[in-house]
Amino acid sequence: MSDQTLLSVEHLSVELPHGGDRSHAVADVSLSVGRNEIVCLVGESGSGKSITAHAVLGLLPPSLEIGAGTIRFRGDDIAHADDDAMRGLRGGAISMIFQEPLSALNPLARVGDQIAEVILVHAAPRPSRAELDARVLELIAAVGLPEPATLVRSYPFQLSGGQRQRVMIAMAMANNPALLLADEPTTALDVTTQKQILALIRRLQAERGMGVLFITHDFGVVADIADRVVVMRNGRVVEQGSVDEVLRRPKDDYTKALIAAVPGSRPASTVDRKIEGEPLLDAHGLNKTFVTGQGLFRPDRTVVAVRDVALSLRPRETVAVVGESGSGKSTLGRIIMRLIEPDAGAIEFAGADFLELRGSQLRAMRRKVQIVFQDPFAALDPRQKVGDAIARGPMAYGAPPAEAMADARRLLARVGLEASAAGRYPHEFSGGQRQRICIARALALKPMVLVADEAVSALDVSVQAQILDLLAELREEMNLAMLFITHDLRVAAEIADRIVVMRHGEIVEQGDTKSVFTSPQHAYTRALLDAIPGRSLFAGPQAATAPNAMTA
Amino acid sequence: MERLKTFLRHPTGMIGLIILAAVVILAICAPALFPDDPWEMVAAPFQPPGSEDLPLGSDMLGRNVAAGIAYGARVSLTIGVASTLAALCIGVTIGAIAGYFGGKVDDLMMRITELFQTIPGFILAILLVATIGPTLTNVIISIGAVSWPPLARLTRAEFMRLRGREFVQAAVCQGQAPLMVALRHILPNAISPIIVTGSLTIATAILIESALSFMGLGDPNLMSWGLMIGASRTVIRQAWWMSVFPGVAILLTVLAINLVGEGLNDTLNPRIARKVRNA
Repeated sequence: MSDQTLLSVEHLSVELPHGGDRSHAVADVSLSVGRNEIVCLVGESGSGKSITAHAVLGLLPPSLEIGAGTIRFRGDDIAHADDDAMRGLRGGAISMIFQEPLSALNPLARVGDQIAEVILVHAAPRPSRAELDARVLELIAAVGLPEPATLVRSYPFQLSGGQRQRVMIAMAMANNPALLLADEPTTALDVTTQKQILALIRRLQAERGMGVLFITHDFGVVADIADRVVVMRNGRVVEQGSVDEVLRRPKDDYTKALIAAVPGSRPASTVDRKIEGEPLLDAHGLNKTFVTGQGLFRPDRTVVAVRDVALSLRPRETVAVVGESGSGKSTLGRIIMRLIEPDAGAIEFAGADFLELRGSQLRAMRRKVQIVFQDPFAALDPRQKVGDAIARGPMAYGAPPAEAMADARRLLARVGLEASAAGRYPHEFSGGQRQRICIARALALKPMVLVADEAVSALDVSVQAQILDLLAELREEMNLAMLFITHDLRVAAEIADRIVVMRHGEIVEQGDTKSVFTSPQHAYTRALLDAIPGRSLFAGPQAATAPNAMTA
Repeated sequence: MERLKTFLRHPTGMIGLIILAAVVILAICAPALFPDDPWEMVAAPFQPPGSEDLPLGSDMLGRNVAAGIAYGARVSLTIGVASTLAALCIGVTIGAIAGYFGGKVDDLMMRITELFQTIPGFILAILLVATIGPTLTNVIISIGAVSWPPLARLTRAEFMRLRGREFVQAAVCQGQAPLMVALRHILPNAISPIIVTGSLTIATAILIESALSFMGLGDPNLMSWGLMIGASRTVIRQAWWMSVFPGVAILLTVLAINLVGEGLNDTLNPRIARKVRNA
């Protein structure tokens, strides 16, 4: 073992309790992290990547135990170290940052105190108050947070997601760790924030010569940050090597398939689908402001979710609404579904103002606009059989139950499930299969417009690619117009004919996919494009981007 | 099935269930065990427990205390269950409407609920029974009328939580009518905590009934535990058994229902259920 190796995991196995779908959470995993390098551990959900990282810190859930193998940190075996020794390491020589910074921070303590606490736990002679404060301020400045003096006194809920993650990083950096474990630290963040956080981790790593074990599911992020890559599947390492070797010349079939499935690694949908004709759905002047009462003596809090939005959708057309969190894109989708009533505006749809419809007229029109939600686990009633979930819609419009059920079975087969799935409950299906069920449920009513609200965002990339393909086939078969709401420009590029970019409730740019990607007009669109992870590797949709746009 | 098994492994829940089953059997078998009317004067008054044919003694009019307890179980259980059902009907309906529609409807429903919550329940029950007359039905109505606010608030909270869930929105988009959405999608997913609270409401209802009877506001034609205690309170120094045995009956029944309710809570509430399984 060379001096340069900081962490080495050898033949690590973690057994799962009996009755699971496999016997090991991770099996025979070997990997190493050297000083001054970033190793990316990449895999889909259930690949065992997080378990591996948690095993290093001795943070496995109580039902799991390290079965075999060694974990060496600076040469010492820590796989079976006692609690005292592990506590000395955690937050000291090895620290960790998590995916969701809001739940990883104590909501009732000031940010500065939380950082100071990490220092105090590991400081041998207790530093003086002044020293401690200086150290906290220095850390806050080092992670690029604004106005450190004010920030130390704020509470986590007063910060944005990116700022919270910076606080987490400051806490992780507090004791100058030799090794940083980062468990999907940017997954919950917007792309532009993700880009900043990745740059921050990169900078801190280079300044301090840290080793970083970075867990992610996103090959784009891997391409941006990694020196070396370890690919995991079903608890086993399938391939590892330098980032160039693995991403450009993958040897393993699974790695190849994963990389091919990364949205944006394929050419954009530049095929002209010959969309023409009068708009099928034409919304204009949409406004929605959310008002939250703050109690008797404080003014109400208002949030403008959608401001003066106009949007049209032609028959067969797919329009992607792209924006970061809080841009109002989901509110827009729900207004079009009539799940949220806008304050003002009109939606002309099939010859009537959809927003003016009430009662039975509304019900008659509802079936023509259907929605597929983001989270396939929340979108199906856990106590309703899949067949019922699909057939219930047509039955609500008077279809005879037997016929509706036969239709449901046919649709299930069409979306790639067995017709027998109709008799089973949602919990028996995987995320991708559930999303197929949701699509079948939406299509059972033979809609003219399908709203897909982040419909593939919660899925693993390989499943994501399959669902996108399915949607692309179905829109041709059923002549669907589709409103595709997403935060991911790469996904938008794959499926959309036209792209609408939203920010703070307003549309900042719209145009056909190709022109938005090749010559973005608005600075915000350029920033979004620029923040797509893995641009160096996956040229993808913006391959033809003009050089000046690249540097913007 | 899984939940049933978990419940059967829940020790205190099972103890409660066994006691409760004993009380139910006693109530069902009362006419077989004590063919005589419980009001019948079958023996000399003031006979202590263990006298011939009187395992629990006789009261000051020579009535069989054991028979009174057996017939009282019928009254207590009937009133407990029926008034809880009444409370469930009112509470779940109001809570569901408030939680489903929200906004002004919610405001109105909750102000009504708060109106009932601010009046002490027992006093309102006394007032109602005193006004509309002490019959079995009226006692049930009165207890139901004071027991529903907690159920309404719970149902409202569950409905609000589930209303925003995507599967409910999907059902709305499918064109299903609000009543169908509420009954088919929201209520089945909200039922567990309602069952738990409902079971505890039975215990409270039995206590209120006993207290009403104790004060002489129960149905005078029905033998009940509260009535027995109320009637014999003046002679408690001379004849302790007349009030102690009905009191023990109330204690055991209410305790059993609480234990069952707690067991149900542990089984139906997934977070706690997991803890039970790990233990």
